Amino acid sequence: MAKRFTKMAYSSPEEMVFGHSKAPISYGFGMKVGAGRVIPELNYAPRPGTEKSVDRLRKEYVDYISKDALDRALTLGFPDLQLETEWVSQMAAPEMSAPIVSGQRDLVEKYHDKYGINLAVRHTIPDQREAGQGLRLGLDKESAYPERFMTCVDTVCENGADVLSVESVGGKEFADYAVTHGDITAFLFGVGYLGSMDMEYIWKQMVSVAKKHKVIPGGDTNCSGANVAMFMAGGMMDNDVQKTFSAVARCISAARTLVAPECGATGPDKDCGYEGVIVKAITGLPAAQEGKNCQCAHADLQGNLMAQVTDMWSNESVEYHPEFGGSSIQCWLGTLGYEVSLMNTAIQMGQERTLRDLYMNSDRTRGPEGYVLAYDNAWKIGKVIAEYGDDYYLRAKAAGLTGANIIMEGYDKKELILTSKQLLVLKKMIKELEALPDNEDSFYEYCAKKYKDEVPDFNPKNYGL
Amino acid sequence: MSKTKIDYGAILRRYDAELENVSTPEAIAAKMLPSDPHLKEVASTVLYMKIREVGPVVMKALKEGVEPLILINKGLVAGMEIVSNLYAQHVYYLPEIMMAAKTMEIGISIAEKQIPGGRTTKGKVIMHAVEGDPHDIGKNIAAVMMRSSGFTVLDLGKDVAVDTVIATVKEEKPFMVSGTALMTTTMTACAAIAEKLKAAGINIPVMAAGGAVHRDFAESFDLGIYSEKAPQTPPIADKILAGYDWKKIRENWDDIVEGI
Repeated sequence: MAKRFTKMAYSSPEEMVFGHSKAPISYGFGMKVGAGRVIPELNYAPRPGTEKSVDRLRKEYVDYISKDALDRALTLGFPDLQLETEWVSQMAAPEMSAPIVSGQRDLVEKYHDKYGINLAVRHTIPDQREAGQGLRLGLDKESAYPERFMTCVDTVCENGADVLSVESVGGKEFADYAVTHGDITAFLFGVGYLGSMDMEYIWKQMVSVAKKHKVIPGGDTNCSGANVAMFMAGGMMDNDVQKTFSAVARCISAARTLVAPECGATGPDKDCGYEGVIVKAITGLPAAQEGKNCQCAHADLQGNLMAQVTDMWSNESVEYHPEFGGSSIQCWLGTLGYEVSLMNTAIQMGQERTLRDLYMNSDRTRGPEGYVLAYDNAWKIGKVIAEYGDDYYLRAKAAGLTGANIIMEGYDKKELILTSKQLLVLKKMIKELEALPDNEDSFYEYCAKKYKDEVPDFNPKNYGL
Repeated sequence: MSKTKIDYGAILRRYDAELENVSTPEAIAAKMLPSDPHLKEVASTVLYMKIREVGPVVMKALKEGVEPLILINKGLVAGMEIVSNLYAQHVYYLPEIMMAAKTMEIGISIAEKQIPGGRTTKGKVIMHAVEGDPHDIGKNIAAVMMRSSGFTVLDLGKDVAVDTVIATVKEEKPFMVSGTALMTTTMTACAAIAEKLKAAGINIPVMAAGGAVHRDFAESFDLGIYSEKAPQTPPIADKILAGYDWKKIRENWDDIVEGI
């Protein structure tokens, strides 16, 4: 069994602030994360068509994207930069990815040696595993995706990456059903319970390989569940999925994302895991987050708030193309770097808590998800996860219920506005979560029966059950 | 944390709350439900997503003499049309669409067994998430909406090889094929499908959709048409059945999807 966090790293929410973590980490070429300075992390995507050959894709990532980014960091006087390569699916083949991993490594080393800029590269591998075919080694006879997953881990670690990450998909078969049907129990079962087991399975192996090669095991995200809910809940004019649902789903997802650190991941975790603020409150490890400066990838309702306690600040992803101000990645690095510069100035002037609260209050009531992720509320959700830390089911349920009650309290004291439909869905979720069994075995039995026909891809063997 | 009292209304506006339609499903549906008591009861099971009740209600209506085709079209489908109306008015949302569609499909599967030769639908489409792309939630939603609108959907799943799509089109002869992609590096499969269909002399529209896809891309290759979001797919398909080819869909796209 993996280690479990049963105590909070931060004794109060007030202690948390951007740029500082309880367990700073050093790696790469001069990179120090969570050690008193926020670091920009730039993520990018190649242009369509460049994935068709090894040489063309390597050129796109290394010669164009990475070089453009490093040159712009020098131009604007940024002291630190982390590059993040989120692999396109074609890179699951080692002959496609290995030259990119080693090429980026060589380039950042050259720039660090020549200019002294602090640099590192994170590689985030694709998780192509499919529940219907099998999530664990030996189960997928059709595509062998679990084996390909581990090949990707090896390729990252053997070719000079600094940080290894993934956006894993365990529990996604339930998350998709849950989000489209507004079923919070299905989300709890899939993401909070089964997803945590899958995280433990993959992260133990990932940490082992990473340690062998002295690569940093960064962290994970519930992009495939909580972010799907958040994006479908959308903005003010979108209501396909209720925002109270996505907010509670986010709280549950934190219990799952926590498993990576429990297996030995050290952070910085993944930028798109908006639940990272809750995880940081529990673990004290460096967090990577995204928000206002990732509008190139998507819009959400907590653009400023997400910067409140982060240690890395990301743009999520931008496709490489020309803009008036240079290439797209140069322009978005500019927005990232200047925002980070503002945060670091606040730290230098002793104003970091003021800026943190400005960020947070800007979006605190823009929607229910921002409300539960405001650092004071996020800390409370982290606290109940730690209290039930030894039990994957109970801690995820407690996270969801606590998040839902925080929203209800915010509504009751007239701090947070809810539509009647958001309120209706919130009350239904509270009632449903409160009525669930108080132990793992009964919960499993209840869900296995309830979703037998609804989620046909569910296979207990995927989760070692 | 600062204790300063903040007027959040001076910082942001909650348009979702300001513009909310507070009508109830019951109030809107009262004027739209069929008057025949059997059909009203059947339509109500769909409207209120009574998934456990639809089977017994349909069987009772059939036993009491309601023609199966009438029961389907004026009971189950009529109920789903009210659901679509509520969705368009922002009273119902995605979960209600999914549950109501499931309720309707259970009812149809019971009733159509009593129709000699089976029930005919508007036509057949092939839907899939493209090669290399595991993201299929949008496709699944669009497939439910297509079935709810009376189409037969052959759902090939996710990460479907281009050649599999081509072979299935040749065998099943749909009037449209759709591919969804969340990644710009996988959406190019839609163009590859269109190219191969054209080379085989099959000139059906190829609908490109999904998070990564934009209209400019979908219209950058012959046969390509665009759907921005799932609810737009049925009205576009209706136009194809009405005789619009891919060029005419493009020319009239804004009018076809207006307000959806």
